[in-house]
Amino acid sequence: MIELNELTDAAQKAFPADKLSPARDASWELTAEMGWMMVRLPEDDGGLGLDREASTAIHFEMGRVLSCAPLIPAQLGLQAVIASQTLAERADWLERLSAGEYAPLHMLPANVDVAADGTVSGTVGGVLEGDMAVAVVAKLPTGYALIPTDAEGVELIERPVWDPSRRLFDLVLTGYAPDPALMLSDAEGAAALHDILGPEAHLALAADCLGGATAALALTVEYLGMRKQFDRPLAMFQALKHRVADMKIRITTAEALLWSRARDPQAARLQIAGLKALATDVYQFVTEEMIQLHGGIGLTEEHQCHLFMKRAMLNLQLCGSLDWLNERVGAEALAALS
Amino acid sequence: MTDTANLEALRSEVRSFLEAEKPTDWRDASRTQEDFVQTQRDWFARLVQAGYAIPHWPKEFPGGGRSLAEQKVIYEELAKADCPRLLLSFVSTYHAFATLHECASEAQKAQYMPRILEGETWCQGFSEPGAGSDLAALKCKAVREVRDGQEVYVVNGQKIWSTMAQFADMCLLLVRTSSEGVKQAGITYLLMDMKTPGVSVSPIHQIQGDEEFAEIFLDNVVIPVEQRVGEEGKGWAVAQATLASERGLTLMELSYRMRGALSRVASLIREHGREQDRGVLRDFGALVNEVDAVCAIADQFLDNRIKGLERIGDASIVKNSYSRALRAYSKLGVRLGGIDEQYVKPITFGDLNTGNWMADFMNSYAWSIAGGSEEVQRNIIAERMLEMPREPKNWVL
Repeated sequence: MIELNELTDAAQKAFPADKLSPARDASWELTAEMGWMMVRLPEDDGGLGLDREASTAIHFEMGRVLSCAPLIPAQLGLQAVIASQTLAERADWLERLSAGEYAPLHMLPANVDVAADGTVSGTVGGVLEGDMAVAVVAKLPTGYALIPTDAEGVELIERPVWDPSRRLFDLVLTGYAPDPALMLSDAEGAAALHDILGPEAHLALAADCLGGATAALALTVEYLGMRKQFDRPLAMFQALKHRVADMKIRITTAEALLWSRARDPQAARLQIAGLKALATDVYQFVTEEMIQLHGGIGLTEEHQCHLFMKRAMLNLQLCGSLDWLNERVGAEALAALS
Repeated sequence: MTDTANLEALRSEVRSFLEAEKPTDWRDASRTQEDFVQTQRDWFARLVQAGYAIPHWPKEFPGGGRSLAEQKVIYEELAKADCPRLLLSFVSTYHAFATLHECASEAQKAQYMPRILEGETWCQGFSEPGAGSDLAALKCKAVREVRDGQEVYVVNGQKIWSTMAQFADMCLLLVRTSSEGVKQAGITYLLMDMKTPGVSVSPIHQIQGDEEFAEIFLDNVVIPVEQRVGEEGKGWAVAQATLASERGLTLMELSYRMRGALSRVASLIREHGREQDRGVLRDFGALVNEVDAVCAIADQFLDNRIKGLERIGDASIVKNSYSRALRAYSKLGVRLGGIDEQYVKPITFGDLNTGNWMADFMNSYAWSIAGGSEEVQRNIIAERMLEMPREPKNWVL
């Protein structure tokens, strides 16, 4: 049994804190070498069979270094395959994906129509690092499907985003005929699969946020301690200290919720959705403060502040926005408390 | 495994006791301060009898000798069952107990500890009008004299923010016996009988109509030297024992209670027909998340303490997170309640989440100011956890 701190230590060694956003392709190779795609793969399928806490620990560390390697959509794509009861060559796909072939789950909504002949046209949004993908796990009206990126009627179009640690693509389908052998679920099974993948996505993104927020806070404290004005370090001014303390309070509190949800196999879907909402809100707050507290240098591209802020802003929108998730949590709590 | 089994056995034991015995009408019975005090005395006596009032005391006391993990179970169940919080006896069972247990003489322990279980209540005479966040600046003056052949302290001064002092039998009193050296060095710790001539108490009328705190005026109050805890001038160290007496259980209990009281917000949303209002649902959802997170951090704090992993500043984070969520909770109630909440309604003593939203909102300041203000906690977090430098101490106006 691998201990959690061993995973964390290994991650910190492989991805040191002083190298933010290390190059994507090398990071991805390293990720596969570390066996991180095996972490959530059940032992029966040849994986490590570790639980949510383990993958959460890794995503936290990847958030801390603003990793460009798309581990989150890759893990979600793999989990869709693991959970699939209809995929023809499931074992083969599991082997390929756990060895490092990339088939991400899309992280923004799909807007597609199915024609009378069964072909699909429209756009599947939020395919991270689509240029690396051999296939995309997409939620179609007919069910979840593995869509090979080189298939006819399939095109990946890059949509440049502000966050330089990620590349986003639209998967554009034009009369694409889904391969029945590559269906991961039927239309009915899609809801169940969505309920499995949703909490995993939210937990992973929350970890990414809070890892990033932790690094952003550390850099801010370091900067305020070093930068001198009025013959003293900025860190001595109480007006600034209190703002930093609030960053610490909000990160630590959200992190307590992160681990409590990660360790609770009974955590409800919307409890984890609520965690994602809270964590993205905290990350946004922390990175906003980070830039302001850095002053002029925080506005420059040469400094790292903007990398955190841009990632926080993108995370807010992936797999359900703050408003949408909070509304769902509120409606569910209202129903539960009647 | 046996630990877990033991804890679960305790949990079901407490649960069955509470199902049979918990007071259900305590809010209605707490519309006046006097009635509130009576319900508090009754419930405390019942819990002492059942063995759940003083789980943190040593095991020679009935109901004592419980581990922190067991204490947590008891408090969780008390909170979930929505029982009255033990407010009136809080200072006696925690602050007075810790002070006596850790610093007092055997004679003092034997004299006072059993009386606490019989219902004697204590208050804390620490803060002064000029010594709030800066407690060590206190001025209440004690002069050592011989009167009628007995060595005594003659005390003059004023104390403030003493919880329930108007009902207290005894007081944990910090006085200044010397002005030499650093301000902490001249402080002495005394145990004062509230019936001593020269002691007068005046309740403080809070903005929501409660009288949870009082001022204590000391006019030539004579206190025998035997009532001192620790040495003269060493009271500051004793006060640290008092202040460290309760760490985490109350905030965990209060967080759980706030989570239980989210149903009050839900009722309010329905009463006002806002179930379909998406903005309201968003705000409610954000509150639910925040309260869940506060419960998680309060839990984590206690779990770390049980494992001996508490770090400086952890408690400050829990306190500020709780007070922030409590403000958000009560403010959402005020907003959703609309004009209704501006009409005065009777308050309920001894509860922070009563559903009288303006009163709850005003009461929430007790947690952002009392027990070390949010600002003091932020200093602790910044300077002692994040190791940011202190501000220079000497300055001239």
